Amino acid sequence: MRPRLAAPVGAVFAALAFAATLWGWLLAGGGTVDLPWAPSWDLRFTLALDGLAALYSLLATGIGFAVTVYASRYLPLHLEHQGRSEADIPRFHFFILMFMGSMVGLVMAQDLILIFVFWDLTAIASYYLIGYDAHERDSRRSALMALLVTGITAVCLLIGALMLYAAYGTFSLPALIEASEPGALLAAAGALIAVAGLAKSAQVPFQFWLPRAMAAPTPVSAYLHSAAMVAAGVFLLGRFYPLIQKTDWLLDALLVVGLGSMAVGGILALTRNVLKQLLAYSTISQYGYVVFMFGLGGEYGAVGASFYVIAHALAKAALFLTAGAVTEATHGETRLSHLGGLRRELPFLMVASGFSAAGLAALPLTIGFFKDELFFEAALERGGVFPALAVAGAVLTFAYTWRFWSGIFLGERRSEAHGVPAAMTVPVAALGALVIAGGLYVAPFARLAQAAGEVTFNAPTPIDPAYHLDARAENLMALATYALGVLVILSRSFWIGAAEAFARLGELAGPERLYFASLKGLNAFSDRIHDLEVRDLRTRVATILGPTGVLVGAGLLFTPTRGAYEVGAIGPLDWPLFLALILVAVAAIATVFPRRHLTLALVLSSVGYILAVVFAFFGGPDVAMVQVLVETIMALLFIGILVLLPRKVLEREASNPIPRRRKVRDAGVALIAGFFAFAVSWSTLSQPALEESVAQEHIRLAPEAHAKDVVTAILADFRGLDTLGEITVVGIALLGIATLLSRGRLW
Amino acid sequence: MILVSALTIAVLFGVGSYLLLQRDLIRVVVGIILVSNAANLFLISAGLSRGQAPIYPLEEGVEVSDPLVQAMTLTAIVIAFGISALLMSLVYRVYTSHLSLNLEDISEAEVREEESIESREVAED
Amino acid sequence: MKTSVMTRVVARVLLVPALVVALAILIKGYADTGDGFNAGVIAALGMLLQYVAFGYEEAERMMPVRLVAVIAFGGLLLSLAVALLPLFWGLAIFTHVPGPGEEVIHLGTVELITPVVFDIGVFMLVFGFAVGAIDLLARAIHRRET
Repeated sequence: MRPRLAAPVGAVFAALAFAATLWGWLLAGGGTVDLPWAPSWDLRFTLALDGLAALYSLLATGIGFAVTVYASRYLPLHLEHQGRSEADIPRFHFFILMFMGSMVGLVMAQDLILIFVFWDLTAIASYYLIGYDAHERDSRRSALMALLVTGITAVCLLIGALMLYAAYGTFSLPALIEASEPGALLAAAGALIAVAGLAKSAQVPFQFWLPRAMAAPTPVSAYLHSAAMVAAGVFLLGRFYPLIQKTDWLLDALLVVGLGSMAVGGILALTRNVLKQLLAYSTISQYGYVVFMFGLGGEYGAVGASFYVIAHALAKAALFLTAGAVTEATHGETRLSHLGGLRRELPFLMVASGFSAAGLAALPLTIGFFKDELFFEAALERGGVFPALAVAGAVLTFAYTWRFWSGIFLGERRSEAHGVPAAMTVPVAALGALVIAGGLYVAPFARLAQAAGEVTFNAPTPIDPAYHLDARAENLMALATYALGVLVILSRSFWIGAAEAFARLGELAGPERLYFASLKGLNAFSDRIHDLEVRDLRTRVATILGPTGVLVGAGLLFTPTRGAYEVGAIGPLDWPLFLALILVAVAAIATVFPRRHLTLALVLSSVGYILAVVFAFFGGPDVAMVQVLVETIMALLFIGILVLLPRKVLEREASNPIPRRRKVRDAGVALIAGFFAFAVSWSTLSQPALEESVAQEHIRLAPEAHAKDVVTAILADFRGLDTLGEITVVGIALLGIATLLSRGRLW
Repeated sequence: MILVSALTIAVLFGVGSYLLLQRDLIRVVVGIILVSNAANLFLISAGLSRGQAPIYPLEEGVEVSDPLVQAMTLTAIVIAFGISALLMSLVYRVYTSHLSLNLEDISEAEVREEESIESREVAED
Repeated sequence: MKTSVMTRVVARVLLVPALVVALAILIKGYADTGDGFNAGVIAALGMLLQYVAFGYEEAERMMPVRLVAVIAFGGLLLSLAVALLPLFWGLAIFTHVPGPGEEVIHLGTVELITPVVFDIGVFMLVFGFAVGAIDLLARAIHRRET
């Protein structure tokens, strides 16, 4: 199989998935799959293609398609630069498709636990994708950070889901939306779920993982930022919005977080030098807009947020792909300060990405204009200071988008450059064309956003974005944005110092420090435990045996002793059993004395064989038979291992004298252990037999199960799960033995 | 009978824990096997009834041995078997990397290794 | 190390009866003493005898030991399948066919019931485990000697 084949396969899958989603939404009109999953736990496998699901799955599959096409050329070049073989290509496409699949599953899931499962699947896929360049330490650390931040907060989602289940007795989201009532519990659950969403969307204070995740190859970043992972965060907010909405302070918290992210992301995007870092902070601020709109709480907010996600996804994916193409064209240059004037070398890319940049900056005739129109409308609906804050946010976006695009293509040339393959520019152009198409004919996008908004807002949301050539407030705000944006761009030298100081402050006192500090603390803690533990195996055994003894002793003290400690009668037929038990004890004691290991092995197996006799006298021919057979194989394995070990080592061990003091100590410990075992087993075994036992039931039911041997029926039927667990252990043990004896090779 | 069973279990367990505390790794493995034998014996003697084997056709009026504890003991024996085989290969693996079966030598070697790793990390930072 | 002719003949002669006994115990597990586990260990002992008598290279030639891992994990999967398949029909796990009170199809005196399939899975796993462990050990010994 040629590894390059993975790219077309991946692209075809993505295209098919996109077509299927489109078909399902437009022609089939949505639909629901509802299967029982684990009915006894009230879990159902429920997927529904509603408006919200349609929006996000179209993005996930459509942008996924663009990204796989782009990667078909980008990835071989990327691997070549790093001197890696093409064998790594299929891994990329596998995880991109897994990412896509889990994203589509996530957005369609209607069951809380199902949502959680898909949620974690996206985290796992992103872990492998961010850490794709696994030989680089930075890349591994970034992947781990993304996994930890989103994985730990995912537990919040699970806790929230379980709280809701505990209160309302269902995991089904539609049922919960109907049943839930405002209150402390709903607020707490909603807050926990919102935390999971905000962390995944890299909102303040969780924003730090996203710029780090730029260590991923560019197609991954493009996908992560626009259609998956980060988008999943705001999706979750949209999905649970009907629950979150019922708590006012949660909405206010979302407002604060959204504004914070807008400010932090926007200001830092103005200071970053590395292309992808700039875009990363831009993503933080853009999703800040979305969260802000959710926080505003009106119907414009709900639809606006959905529309914003579409517009942003198209533009941001294109800009990321542009960054990757530019870096490729300039032999690995990633810094804005070393780029510029590429209009002659990459004219096509310049125009294509210009469309997307115009879209992000919300210029008229692009889909972006409407995203800001809805954004302003949502702010106006709420009133107060919010329109002003909205304009401030939009100004930042305008400024850093210009900085990105003009920094690459305009100005004087600062680096060598050559053309890039068409497969790397065509996806950018296609996305750019969509941005423009949305600006000229917004209806289909608006319809999609409206359908999604209806799910989010849980009520009809009639909005109608259009160009209005009059002096209404939204238009004035847009004009103000452009004017102020130009002003910010021109006055760069005035504020750049302050912005950089802000960025440094974030590095010094930001939440990233907390992350690293807690990671370090955990490491130090585990080191200490490890140190305590590995110094000596015997100490460890003693630390287990000691507390166990204390607990057992306490148990004995507090258990009523009535009926305990019966000597028990010895019937006339019990004498053989009695003798066999004595023999077991004698043979066991005999294992202490042999010096040579071979003798030890033989004495040990004699214990086993006599034990088999005991089992037989107890009326268990099955057990006795197994014991005999196992003992035989064990003895042979034991001797096999002894053959493997050099005689010298064994002899040294056998003749190594044990200090007297230690001997006495060990014997003392053994006596105490034996005494406790004696007390516990004597008191337990003396408990009078119950009249009606499960065993009686098993015996009665065995013929019903077509069995004559009750023990086998229990093993294969009544308590089959035990057996399943047992054979799984045996299977894993076999893997372990293979690992230990022949370095993991199973033949 | 109860007393005798309990005593035998106690002897198996006591001897097992004595061997567990030895320095010789092979004896440690033997100790674990003895302790699991003790557990098996405990399980089977915890049966609520004792008599004929629980295999149909059953004789009328004669007590039937508790089949549940037998099934559980069977499971326990098998697991103990798998684990002991794994332990033995572990012993061999320990020998190949430390060329010793003595726990004291091994833990000394581990401490040395640990310290060398730590000093290397300090040097890197 | 060479073993005597007698040992080798006996080992070879005993292999087939060991396998036959294992098979009998396996199939009749529901009706009499023994189950998949016993059968697996008996069959493995038969193989073990070959290792002792002929050395591992010869023994491996007699049986496709490469298949051992496949047998073991195939058995695990088979048992899992028997346990979990009823879920697809909306039944509890470990719902065996035929159900209580239903007619059992006989093939001679052999009863066709799903618990036996489950037991066959156990048999395969245990056989694979024991033979696999022995084989790994024999290889390790062989490597050390050469």
